[in-house]
Amino acid sequence: MYPWIWRHLPGNAWVKSLIALVLVLAVVYALFQYVFPWAEPLLPFNDVTVDNNGMQAVTP
Amino acid sequence: MRSRRAVRALSELCLTSGALVVLFVVYLLYWTGVRADSAMDGEIGRLRDQWARHGGSAAVAPPTVPDAPPGEPRPDAAPPAPAPVPAPADGTGVTAPAVPGATASPAPPASPAPRTGGTAAPAAPPRAGAAFAVMYVPRFGTDWAKPVLEGTGLDTLKRGLGHYEGSAPLGGTGNFAVAGHRRTHGDPFKDLPRLRPGDAVLLTDGTTWFTYRVDTRPYRTAPTDTRVLDPVPAAAGYAAPGRYLTLTTCDPEWGHSHRLVVWAHLETTAPAAP
Repeated sequence: MYPWIWRHLPGNAWVKSLIALVLVLAVVYALFQYVFPWAEPLLPFNDVTVDNNGMQAVTP
Repeated sequence: MRSRRAVRALSELCLTSGALVVLFVVYLLYWTGVRADSAMDGEIGRLRDQWARHGGSAAVAPPTVPDAPPGEPRPDAAPPAPAPVPAPADGTGVTAPAVPGATASPAPPASPAPRTGGTAAPAAPPRAGAAFAVMYVPRFGTDWAKPVLEGTGLDTLKRGLGHYEGSAPLGGTGNFAVAGHRRTHGDPFKDLPRLRPGDAVLLTDGTTWFTYRVDTRPYRTAPTDTRVLDPVPAAAGYAAPGRYLTLTTCDPEWGHSHRLVVWAHLETTAPAAP
């Protein structure tokens, strides 16, 4: 995959490196902004309440 | 040639997934903390601005809390009260244990706690997701200050501590229950296990300072144990109705199999802007 991307980037090695860097940063941004916030509730670190739903059920 | 391509694809896959895991750990341990710290600072700043606009001189720093030695009531710790507020007729909230911290079991009701009536409960419940108070816990450090927001939703808990909807209002009779992250999102309740009976938990809503005293060592329970949020939580050893505070977080530190709970009772209230 990576060699394939490298071959299809335009320009000489310097330009390719620059574009690759921008691509990497874009991927990291997308991960931090969208993917990880979505994945985080699937992990146990967010469960700090005692039976959230039960408590809200008794709320008028 | 074919096996070579397979090995190459496999190694690329391993590299990619490894990088993903490392990035996710960085996100959890570092980035959520950065985001939460700035969000919590923003909430506290907005609250203080709001209080400064509406309430004259706002409370920007906790009053000096005497670390009352267990077993010794400190009459001078109580703020100068113009007149003692008469206790409610039904006797709610007047039986503060006289010995905060000597034992987790309830101390016999001694004398009515000074000034725990009247000024307490705010009129209207705060809007869901809105900050309405700031909590200070000297045990967690002198610079530890976190906003308390209404509700315990995931997005709410990213911006501070969450007040269980339906539990008592701040300073009110019943159980004022607050949840917070132990890990990730700024680690607000990281040191909750270090709380000990007699520790102070201070809260202000801009007009009043509420000083709660911790009564129990951290109590480990099941995630479904909502009885810890009862108006009179029996597991804390309380017997009579009163003005209680419950703090909950997850246990173990990185898990979700249990919850850690700490209870406190309202000891004194003081006007924030004398």
